Amino acid sequence: MAGRLIPWSLMGPALAIVVVVFGLPTLQMARMSFNLHSSQGLYTPGFTFDNYVTLFTNPVFTGAMRTTVQLALLASLATVAIGYCFAVLVWLKPARWRLLFIALALCPLLISEISIIFGWWMFLPKNGLLSHVLLSAGLITDKISLMYTEFAAFIGLVYITLPYAFFIMLSVLDGIDKGVLEASADLGGSPLVTWKEVLLPLTSGGLQVAFSQSFIWTMGTYATPSALGPDTLWTLGFLVQEQMLGKHNWPLASALAMILVIGVAAVVVFTGMIMSRRSRYHV
Amino acid sequence: MCEAATQAGAPAPQARFAPGILSVLSWPLIAFLVVYILMPIVVTLLMSFNDAQMIRFPITNWSLRWYEDFFNSGQWTEALTNSIVIALGTTAISTSTGILAAWAFERYRIPFGRFWYFLIILPLFMPGVVLGLGVAIAFGGIQIGSISLYGSRGLVMLAHSLWAMPLVFMLMEATFKTVDYKVVEASYDLGGRPVRTFFEIVLPMVSTGITSSALFAFVISLNEFVMALFLTDRDTQTLPVLMWLSLRSAGTPRLAVASVILALTVFACLTLIMVWYVRQLRKVATK
Repeated sequence: MAGRLIPWSLMGPALAIVVVVFGLPTLQMARMSFNLHSSQGLYTPGFTFDNYVTLFTNPVFTGAMRTTVQLALLASLATVAIGYCFAVLVWLKPARWRLLFIALALCPLLISEISIIFGWWMFLPKNGLLSHVLLSAGLITDKISLMYTEFAAFIGLVYITLPYAFFIMLSVLDGIDKGVLEASADLGGSPLVTWKEVLLPLTSGGLQVAFSQSFIWTMGTYATPSALGPDTLWTLGFLVQEQMLGKHNWPLASALAMILVIGVAAVVVFTGMIMSRRSRYHV
Repeated sequence: MCEAATQAGAPAPQARFAPGILSVLSWPLIAFLVVYILMPIVVTLLMSFNDAQMIRFPITNWSLRWYEDFFNSGQWTEALTNSIVIALGTTAISTSTGILAAWAFERYRIPFGRFWYFLIILPLFMPGVVLGLGVAIAFGGIQIGSISLYGSRGLVMLAHSLWAMPLVFMLMEATFKTVDYKVVEASYDLGGRPVRTFFEIVLPMVSTGITSSALFAFVISLNEFVMALFLTDRDTQTLPVLMWLSLRSAGTPRLAVASVILALTVFACLTLIMVWYVRQLRKVATK
């Protein structure tokens, strides 16, 4: 009987952290999202759907949801495309290159998001390095600024998520026997045909996982788009922070956060379904 | 060209597929990746040695003035200390709990195992802004004795563990799978109690997994600032939080210095672990 308790006591501390610091707070947040907002305190206990009605009718919030999803879609498409090419490159290059490439891919992971933001913040504006270099090279005649544009937000988001897509794709590729490429070439397949008919089907599952992982990350990251993008680029994450720290409207901030939680959970469950369906195919 | 490569003993499998793709893609792609990934780092390094007040290129005068300024500012060094203390705490919490949970999953059959597994790694997928808000709502008003939990370093450590612990857990779960359990059984047969076997036989075998997951936990906590922004006050704010707040008001080269110092802390840890790892390898080699 005592033996049965051992695994639970081993798991206990980890489960306690998840339940106490994540589970219960999330439930409390869900409850909070139905409370009323009052002008004096942070909230008044009550039960109302008003916060959610506001979210789905107020153009500011519906606009933010659209912006968030659009930006996340675009950025994750680019991330997966670049990460895929990068991973294929590392996979095909001789092994002595590998460590260097992996060190390169680790850079964005090991550097704080704030340092990355600040780095681009010095590169893109009018007095930044990009403008200076282009001007000195004579490619432009007037200083240019890419700062506070949607493109800047896009650059920053792709930078942050690239390593995740890269490492997911690399681990998938490492599981593939390179001999299949040779076999395809022997049978007269051109590189393009080989890629389309052999490599792509073998990696499509990995691509889906990499895409959903990037999508989750870009959807939840708010500092990068709000610091690099235009003032009007409002994402859900930015609005959560704004309502919480700026407007002190806890119920509305919670409702916004719940939308994010549901969105992320939907993507995770969807990915899980894709993966289990695929594994059934293979068996 | 292709023939020559094959004859020279280059790996045959990719020889025919590779040149087609590699010659077209490879060099522009490598150039793009290197420039893209290293650009923010290079810009930051250059700017940290700037002598001027303002952030603008070209840099005309170079000096270490902003480094001096950083280390003479009580607010910034204190933020650095806070960051390191919180990161160490997070590492301690998440490695100890994550390793035990991973061991439980490796060695015992757990009812509804998949559910518990999913529950433990779930926070890893949640945006920092959501986790931060949840913890702030739940622990905002709680006091233990006269100390308010909100704004304390301990609360930030726990919040950061929500990302660090699942990562340690997943890494260690994979590492425990590589252990040769005949050795563990042998220890049991010789009368080693489970606890002693775990600490004296199993843990030394997976020490590389432990150090690398501890490093990841440390780095995640050191760099994180969205949760920390929600959960710290003026006295406990971490370096990334202070950087974020001062970026919003006005950027000076001091921020570049802070970036460099943050990155140096990470690389110092990496180096320490590399050195340790090499020594470990030597020990095995001389045995």
